[in-house]
Amino acid sequence: MKILIADDSRVMRQIVTRTLRQAGFGDHDLVEAADGRQALDLTTAESPDLVISDWNMPEMTGVEVLRKLRAAGNDVKFGFVTSECTPEMQQQAEAAGAAFFIVKPFTTERFDEVFSPILG
Amino acid sequence: MSVEVQVNEADLAEMVEQVWVSYLDPDGVNPLVRTGNDGQPSEVHSSVSITGSWTGHVVYASSTLAAKKAAAAFLAMEPDEVSQEDLSDVLGELANIVGGNVKAMLPPGAQLSLPQVVLAPESATKYPSAERVSGLYGLWEGEPVSISMWQSRNDVRKGPKG
Repeated sequence: MKILIADDSRVMRQIVTRTLRQAGFGDHDLVEAADGRQALDLTTAESPDLVISDWNMPEMTGVEVLRKLRAAGNDVKFGFVTSECTPEMQQQAEAAGAAFFIVKPFTTERFDEVFSPILG
Repeated sequence: MSVEVQVNEADLAEMVEQVWVSYLDPDGVNPLVRTGNDGQPSEVHSSVSITGSWTGHVVYASSTLAAKKAAAAFLAMEPDEVSQEDLSDVLGELANIVGGNVKAMLPPGAQLSLPQVVLAPESATKYPSAERVSGLYGLWEGEPVSISMWQSRNDVRKGPKG
């Protein structure tokens, strides 16, 4: 499967990658996007099976990316890994069609719990 | 009436513990040891601004060595392999993580900025019209690390939003 990791922080992209590996999902193809615009463009161009996105990014927020994808008829599995977690954000994410919401800091166990049903 | 800050030192300590357990000290052997010394020196710092239901700044500050060790832990490398870019990125991420967790404890309607990193002591940055309302000060492997919250005085005067 192909996984797109969208985060403006290079460090966080590396940590997400490492945590995926530690949780046993290291064999998948990984694509990285460094802002919201890139996330939208790469999701369209690369057709990943899963998008793991930050919320607060330059150019476009993660939830804006998700809304644009859904508006364009793209139903890729999409969820958030973010340091911000308010009930209003979770509601927005859910309403936009997000599949998961992971709060930073996160553990390998949390990745395993969320991604096992998706990645098998 | 002023806006009560709902995030106190104990809350900051809980967030910091999560960061340490997740990234900086997964084995639980080198926690941040609280000293309460708000005069401790720093060499680098990073911050995020919060605006809306609460307005102010969340600041992460440490020695350069502590920042290098944090970057090494985040990026799974040795401290002497850490570049300046690594150090800046990790400092920014630390402010972002703590700021995001602070935001989650505030009333609805707060916006978080992208992080800013300054490779100079915390005292090099001034926050006009803001005052420190809480802070967590400690030592990590003997190196100073702090997290503080600075609230805009305008915010205090404005009072709570309905």
